[in-house]
Amino acid sequence: MNGDKDTIVHIDNVTKRFGDIVAVDRLDMKIMAGEFVTFLGPSGCGKSTTLRMLGGFETPDEGRIVLDGVDVTRQPPNRRNVNMVFQDYALFPHMTVGQNVAFGLELKGKSRPEIERRTDELLDFLQLSGFRDRTPDQLSGGQRQRVALARALAPDPKLLLLDEPLGALDAKLRGQVQIELKDIQKRTGKTFFFVTHDQEEALTMSDRIVVMNSGKVEQSGTPEDLYFRPASRFVAEFIGETNLIEGKVRGRDKGAIVIDWNGVDVRGAAHDHQPSEGDHVTASLRLENVICHPKKPASRTAIEGRVVSRLFKGSRTSLDIRIGEQEDAVIRAYMDAGNATQIADDLLWISWEAERLAVLRD
Amino acid sequence: MTRHTRILMSVIYWAFVIYLFVPLALMVTMGFKDSKFIGFPIRAWTVDWYAAVLQDTQVMSVFGYSMAIAIATTLLSLIIGTWMAAFLGPNKFRGKAILFALACLPAVIPGIISAIALRIFARLIELEPGMLAVILGHTVHNVPFVALVVMARLSTQPKSHIEAARDLGADSIVAFFRVTLPYLKPALVGAGIFCMLLSFDDFVRAFFLGGYQPTLPVLIFAKLRSGMSPEINAISTIVLIMTAILGLWAERSMRRLNKGSPQ
Repeated sequence: MNGDKDTIVHIDNVTKRFGDIVAVDRLDMKIMAGEFVTFLGPSGCGKSTTLRMLGGFETPDEGRIVLDGVDVTRQPPNRRNVNMVFQDYALFPHMTVGQNVAFGLELKGKSRPEIERRTDELLDFLQLSGFRDRTPDQLSGGQRQRVALARALAPDPKLLLLDEPLGALDAKLRGQVQIELKDIQKRTGKTFFFVTHDQEEALTMSDRIVVMNSGKVEQSGTPEDLYFRPASRFVAEFIGETNLIEGKVRGRDKGAIVIDWNGVDVRGAAHDHQPSEGDHVTASLRLENVICHPKKPASRTAIEGRVVSRLFKGSRTSLDIRIGEQEDAVIRAYMDAGNATQIADDLLWISWEAERLAVLRD
Repeated sequence: MTRHTRILMSVIYWAFVIYLFVPLALMVTMGFKDSKFIGFPIRAWTVDWYAAVLQDTQVMSVFGYSMAIAIATTLLSLIIGTWMAAFLGPNKFRGKAILFALACLPAVIPGIISAIALRIFARLIELEPGMLAVILGHTVHNVPFVALVVMARLSTQPKSHIEAARDLGADSIVAFFRVTLPYLKPALVGAGIFCMLLSFDDFVRAFFLGGYQPTLPVLIFAKLRSGMSPEINAISTIVLIMTAILGLWAERSMRRLNKGSPQ
């Protein structure tokens, strides 16, 4: 349509309401061809509604959905070139694995030999060749998930929707399937639209993660972006474990933002906004970004602290370090279990790269 | 449970079994008695009564007539009942509960009331008493049973099955026939056989709505009025065996079909 030929989906200012509840609030987003994009958020954040609007199961109240240059906002599911892997897989119980996979091809009016060829190809690709004549109730959870994937890939969709497809698998299998799924996505070159509430799943598989909260996008970026440079308190807390530091901006020092945190100057950086002097801000600092020094280091920015509790976690020890005299001025950090024993009288110094203390927008 | 109560329980159980089956056993036995009079003692045995039934062209044609009515009723009831369940089940609209109650009413109205009402209605719309009237009368009675059974089954079908079909390119009609209908199969087999038995067994509606040609129960009733004869026992025994086979087959095929689905 416009010269933007790499955009496969444009969610154009879409709003969806259910009664008084705004499930999706003016969502505007482009998805690139071949991208593995994950919508992440707690239940009720609007991620599933977005997926269902892309699939054609819900119609937006406002805005448009453009698929490969064509406005599909009001097209029913059977008319769009989008397929879905359902949360419960939704395999047809009266059909064999082969018939399930062939279903979409038959409805597309493909010839018998072509249906056979494509079904064989997909079953082979997903290592299901031996299960062709079984019915879904004769398969394990992981096999069912692969059949659902094969069935959705069979009609060669422009966009594949995955609605928490790993939720029904046990924890051990889930890790393995995450790797498989990412691998399948790379090999097929398909655009995957994945929905989950599991942050670890999102971090492992995605090219890009869109964090949603109350119908709005909190932040969109690569897993590294979201993890190390969260834009909001919600993102910082939703993904991984973090230290939240609240204080007043005192000014700048060599590009870093200096924040007065309970009387101690700490250095940070803002990534997508510029707080001004005097602003009250919150910043996020990941536990693994805190460097602990048993002896006073040369760095002038190192802060003295006192260990108030320690938790031995095998290879590393998690420490709660109190800065100054304030009860709640505590930073949690990891330290190698060996180094941790060198701390004398619970006294240590901590530092971090200013870049790693992300000043949040709220 | 003490020993005494256990013995008491089994005595009651067997008494109940005897109460259930002795009349049937008597009926079957009398069909083989070589005498026109029903009752003990039995001095000689014969299968002549069965031969007579099979050669009795009236009985055979009435049997065929009843079967035809049962089959037509069953097909019609399945179509209307399934349609009703598919419509009433998923859709929400004003007055749904009232419509549902009205649709189920024919199943609980006493047969005689329903028969009289249907007779009056048939005359009003100038429908001649006869096969069509009986079929329609039986269908009105059977539809609620089909609708209830189908609706129960439908409620266990995950919504995602239909969505998956739609997603893969089926419009709502194709999705119904290719995904929902196969899912309903056990319910349809069960409801269908139940309809057959209800229709085949019905006397009151067939009596009020039938024309000159009687159905089997009406014929048996007519024959009874001219006196009990072992021929009636023979007819009844044949019907008994056929319905038992049908019922057992239905039960077995329903169990087999149910195994193939997740719920």
